[in-house]
Amino acid sequence: MLNNYILIAWRQLFKNKLYTTINMLGLVTGLTVYLFGTLLVDYEENHDAFYKNFERIFTVGTVFSPTANIGVSQDPSIYSGFTPFIKAEVEEIESIARTIHRKFLLTVGDDNYYQDIRFADPALLTIFDLDYIEGNSDALKEPEGVLLSENTARKLFGSTSVIGELITLDHKTTLHVTAVFKNLPRNTHFNSALIGGLEFEVVAPLTALNKAADWDLAGNFNNLSSGNYTYILLPAAKTLSWLQTQMDNIWKKHLNEDHKEFVTGLKVLPLAKANTFIWSMIGLPIMESIKLLAIMVLVIAIVNYTNLATAQSLSRAREVGLRKTMGADKKQLLAQFLIEGLVIAFISMFIAMAILEIIIPLFNNLTEKSLQINYLHTLPWLLATTTIVGLVAGAYPAYMVTRVKPIEALRDAGASGVKGSLFRSVMLGLQFSISIFILATVLIVYFQNKKVQDAGDIYPRSQIITLQRLDVEEIQNKLDSLKNELKKIPGVSHVSYSSDLPYRQGNSSFTAGPVLGNKDLSFLLKQLSVDEDFLSTYEIPLIAGRALSRDYSADIFLKDMLAINVVLNQLAIEKLGYASANEALGKTFYDFPNSREPRAYTIKGVTPTQNFVGFHNANKPMVFYLRPSFFDYASVRVSHQDLSETLVLIEETWDRVITDYPIQTSFLDKVFNDMFRIFDTMMKSLGLFAAVALILSLIGLFGLAAFMAQSRTKEIGIRKVMGANMLQIISLLIIQFSKPVMWALLIALPLAYFASEQYLNFFSDRITMQAVIIAMAGLISILFAWLIVGIHAIRIATANPIKALRYE
Amino acid sequence: MLKMHNLSKLYRTNDIETIALNCINIEIDTGEFVAIMGPSGCGKSTLLNIIGMLDTASEGQYFFNDEDISNHSESQLSQIRKRNIGFIFQSFNLIDELNVSENIELALLYHDMAKKERKDRVAQIMDKVGIAHRAKHMPSQLSGGQQQRVAVARAVVGNQKLILADEPTGNLDSAHGQEVMEMLQGLNSEGTTIVMVTHSPTHSDYARRTINLFDGHVVTENLRATG
Repeated sequence: MLNNYILIAWRQLFKNKLYTTINMLGLVTGLTVYLFGTLLVDYEENHDAFYKNFERIFTVGTVFSPTANIGVSQDPSIYSGFTPFIKAEVEEIESIARTIHRKFLLTVGDDNYYQDIRFADPALLTIFDLDYIEGNSDALKEPEGVLLSENTARKLFGSTSVIGELITLDHKTTLHVTAVFKNLPRNTHFNSALIGGLEFEVVAPLTALNKAADWDLAGNFNNLSSGNYTYILLPAAKTLSWLQTQMDNIWKKHLNEDHKEFVTGLKVLPLAKANTFIWSMIGLPIMESIKLLAIMVLVIAIVNYTNLATAQSLSRAREVGLRKTMGADKKQLLAQFLIEGLVIAFISMFIAMAILEIIIPLFNNLTEKSLQINYLHTLPWLLATTTIVGLVAGAYPAYMVTRVKPIEALRDAGASGVKGSLFRSVMLGLQFSISIFILATVLIVYFQNKKVQDAGDIYPRSQIITLQRLDVEEIQNKLDSLKNELKKIPGVSHVSYSSDLPYRQGNSSFTAGPVLGNKDLSFLLKQLSVDEDFLSTYEIPLIAGRALSRDYSADIFLKDMLAINVVLNQLAIEKLGYASANEALGKTFYDFPNSREPRAYTIKGVTPTQNFVGFHNANKPMVFYLRPSFFDYASVRVSHQDLSETLVLIEETWDRVITDYPIQTSFLDKVFNDMFRIFDTMMKSLGLFAAVALILSLIGLFGLAAFMAQSRTKEIGIRKVMGANMLQIISLLIIQFSKPVMWALLIALPLAYFASEQYLNFFSDRITMQAVIIAMAGLISILFAWLIVGIHAIRIATANPIKALRYE
Repeated sequence: MLKMHNLSKLYRTNDIETIALNCINIEIDTGEFVAIMGPSGCGKSTLLNIIGMLDTASEGQYFFNDEDISNHSESQLSQIRKRNIGFIFQSFNLIDELNVSENIELALLYHDMAKKERKDRVAQIMDKVGIAHRAKHMPSQLSGGQQQRVAVARAVVGNQKLILADEPTGNLDSAHGQEVMEMLQGLNSEGTTIVMVTHSPTHSDYARRTINLFDGHVVTENLRATG
């Protein structure tokens, strides 16, 4: 019996090729996308599981007040000053280790390299079990020791037996190699792709950072950087919530009251969350979105199958009638149709797996990930998915066809065609709701991203080459001559130094207020140390007053000065309570330091409010001051034609002026794109799902329209004989299919509006055409649907009616 | 009313050429009742379909109301067809999803006609063919004879001058067949031209002229003085 079912199912596949192709194509695509999405999320959310202590390792992050206006709601790191307190007061903790990233110039023999170094408390090696080629987990206990990855050891020394070899940081601090460890696998949060530059290649103790850069081993409460994780190893008996309680106490006790308005708490996270934390940090639920979208696409594929199978099964009513007269009972027929669904589902799953086996290696190469299908591990899940898909997809058609009375089925194959049509319309509506929803959200993300990108054009980013890491004494001393030399290069129009660059997500700011000693009217003021050429380099105009200049001694901000001249932006003027820029000129405001006399800042110039940080951030009140020795970056503005040629000349000039340190350059465009990548990733992954969902829905519609057109051939023939013209026939069919699509619009558009609201809320400068864009998505879907149905309608409408009437 | 000159129809498949109609020359005047007879496959239905402009000839000329329509486009033909010709089929060809009055109204739907007028015409014609009491019934609830009466009503509701009937009694018992034939005769006496394909000599007797077809040729044409 079972054989007979499978045989029939198998033959059925070949009997109607269009139907089978559409069905399989839909299911295969749906399954592939679903499997891939699930595997990807599973991969991203299961990093670091290979560490022995995986389940006992936690990280602590910082929660910011929403009023802090820094663009993120959380940060995965905490102030380094907390750790000594935690260590002293929470005795149950097994180990705790801070890590601090810092870039240094490494010198090995005559060779110089810039390298990101991870400085850590020695306990880091107790928490994470590395695979040592040389040395052991005591390697960080040596105050001037350094660990190298296998890769880096080979790069620097050409070998891995390098214990005791010397490495110099910034020409002054010498470390010796104490261990070499095997390269970390790709699936660890240390290699997170989205936060660039956080390598785990060279690891040194914090004591070395203390020596090389005067870093205070007690830590501080004024510097946070997302890559600087603090790791805690708990005994097996202690839980996350226990640790959270301890951290709440630490926060309460050791953070000063003013600071608590800005940092509203500490948050414990399991190590498993470390890899995907960046998404929670900026507030974009991408993992959840991918999961949801993957399921949505699968649902569309199942609906496709169900719809087509139901439509098609009616043409098999004769077979069913015959089987019933032969004595088949309902259960047997039900089983037969369910088995057909399962056969198709299993074949589709098989093809989907084959496709994944091709796609995944390509994807891994492209993204430096190491996704793989672990068959042993995923087999139960795959089998369950296939079975569910097969059963769900086959259930309704099976039910429909077995309900038919045998004699009706034999006598009149077409009579029951109307009955399933409500169900099919509902399914079609569901499918289109999902597609329209996804399409609308993608369009919203696309246009908002475009707005973000366009807003970044306020600065001439394509014309600026930045030089980085100037904060070394030797370089700071030569900045004037470097600038003079750079200006001589043909094609270079401006050279300027600053403490930060546009688009970098820096948040250096201080509390300022118009009244000395009165914090009531105070606010956070973003500070930027610039030289006298900065405004002209970045084309930032002045709406009142003058730019800062070295000609006025009060313009130059030297250490310990208590009264200086500054330039503010319009927003800062408004925060200070001045009605106009001109009114503010010559006025003074103050800061509120803890450990010195307050400083008086006199307003000499006002710029318009510009979004210096860009992207999703709100405009910030900003102050520009001229503070030599606080410059980390140079911006070299180049006439557009010969950027790379000029770059070579810039490098030559640098090498001539600054001999000890190699140049580090980056196009400002790249600085922008490093951040923009986060939004771009969001859009590309959404876009992929949208494309698949829409195509699947259209394929389904195509199949259904083909079937419906076919089953209405007789009616259309009659109408034509009665004098209906082609246009009337086409609109007849189109109207039939438009109804479910219209219903889908009613459901999908409000949902899309709600969802896009969540995304747009994230941006302070959001698109205004939201409703129009969402409506556009609806329109696009309808047009596509009409096009697809129209193709069939034209075919049917142009056919000779007599064929339909005679050979029905 | 219509005239065919050396009209032929060929069917071509990959390697077989079938001649369905071969050099047909026929003339039918307004007000005639013509029966087309002949064995199965002799081309009766093909001829009727060409007359009804549902199919086109391969060669020859076809004049409808003195207009050569051999090279008319599909939409031109459909214009002429809906103004002039009504069809009656052996298998009735009613739309299952529409009720009796809606099925009849269908023939007017594609004419420019106000809704009120359409409804009046449909009501009128239903009275005439005696199906008014079944106006709201679906085709599946009617007997064959009733269904064919609906089809006749639908064929003439637009004041068509020419009725083409393809074995209108083929699916009916003799009593119902008789009924339908009498209805056609009645229409003919009111001036409607009727062309009917039939197997039944009894029913061909209602016609004033019989055209006998064999293998695509017109074999004989019999004229009868009286019906």
